[in-house]
Amino acid sequence: MRFECSHITYRYPGAAGPVFQDLSLTLAEPGFDALFGPSGIGKTSLANIILGRIGEYGGAIRTEGMRSPLYTYNLERLPGWSVVGKHLDKITPPNRKALKDELVASFGVARCLGSRFTQLSLGQQNRVNLIRYLVQDFDLMIMDESLANVDERTRETIIFKIKSLFPHSIFLYISHNVVEVAKFCKEIIVLRQAHKHPQTIRVAGQNLYDAQALEKHRLEVTMLEIMNAA
Amino acid sequence: MLHRRIFQFLIIYIMGLMFLLLLKFSLNLSDYVIPGPRELWQTSLQFSSPYFLHVINTLSVAVVGQIMSIFMALLVGVTGRQATWFGSFIKVAAYNVQAYPIVAIAPIIFILLGDGLLTRLLIAAMICYFPLLLSVLGIMSEPVADIEHFYRVTGRMRWQLEVKIRAFENLHKLTTVISGSATLAMAGTIVAEFIAADAGIGYTIRIALYQGELSKILIALFLIGITLSVYQGVLEAAGFMVKKGWTHM
Repeated sequence: MRFECSHITYRYPGAAGPVFQDLSLTLAEPGFDALFGPSGIGKTSLANIILGRIGEYGGAIRTEGMRSPLYTYNLERLPGWSVVGKHLDKITPPNRKALKDELVASFGVARCLGSRFTQLSLGQQNRVNLIRYLVQDFDLMIMDESLANVDERTRETIIFKIKSLFPHSIFLYISHNVVEVAKFCKEIIVLRQAHKHPQTIRVAGQNLYDAQALEKHRLEVTMLEIMNAA
Repeated sequence: MLHRRIFQFLIIYIMGLMFLLLLKFSLNLSDYVIPGPRELWQTSLQFSSPYFLHVINTLSVAVVGQIMSIFMALLVGVTGRQATWFGSFIKVAAYNVQAYPIVAIAPIIFILLGDGLLTRLLIAAMICYFPLLLSVLGIMSEPVADIEHFYRVTGRMRWQLEVKIRAFENLHKLTTVISGSATLAMAGTIVAEFIAADAGIGYTIRIALYQGELSKILIALFLIGITLSVYQGVLEAAGFMVKKGWTHM
């Protein structure tokens, strides 16, 4: 299983400069990787290129032994004509009902199933939205700020759960939270300005798992490396 | 909603009537030009009942014409929502035809079909069809990206679901447009009755016009306004009930 973007170049029509200039990126190992960078650097644009929503780019995207990637972001909504529980039941494949129930319980949204999406808090909405993606078949999932507005403790529980339930899938977690990506991700792909070369720098993260002790000094070093790379 | 609509109409009608009476008394106009309050009252007592039946006759044609327009607009709007050449063709055609005053075509329809129910129905439907079509096209062509994204990336999107999402998200707009098109349907039917009918309140107004009886026309206008206000109020209430039912399923 391999996903590769090589020598990607892209400029938005009418923009002064390119968003990407000779950007290369490979994802080959299952696990939780992060795409990190300041706002407006092109993280969502890169996701759109990966998804094929932006077609006029230079370079190539290759996949080996991988289905189409799933992309989820934090402003998605569920239709308002029925309650959250009904929606989840409808979009969950029959062989994944148990997985759905486990995710609902561990993400702390069991009490939300009888409510409509608009009645939920932003954090609950994001958790419910993420569940409906996780119950689908996927090899690579891009999570664009998918846990925004979720409190730190719940976020940690969710990331640990995802790591334990999907050990063979690749996750690309887009976040602005340097502590979070340094702590939980295997590798942090730092996206930089287009004029910098290389445009991405990889920093090894702490890749923390449940019940694993955090080494604070190493975390601080990782954070510094990320900030220096950006 | 219903009370508000009737109240708004009454205010406008009374203001209009006051203006006419002010004109009459300030310029010392004869009863033949603008009838006095007494004549208006007597005419209303004498003609309200038959005129009301004529208004109902017109309204029934307008309702059928409006229903035809709604179905046509939904059909064409749903078909034309896609970014295909056919969708683009429908949009361009709708925008261009909309720019032309459809009421000007009414005499052609009269020449081709003669007077009667079919002509009234067709003119009413045509007049309210294009504004409805433009609104439905606008609503159906606008993706609701935050909701549709999931269904697209997971390969679950079907045209029925797409239409359902867009209709649900724009239910208030749709209700307002349909309610507003009732006025157009009624206006279309009355115009058709002016030129090509032997029944309905438009035909009645035409006769009153030839007789130079402004009091009859004013009574007819009052009945048209009240009936239309009630009909629009009912449409709004129906839209509200649909939305309430849909969001509480």
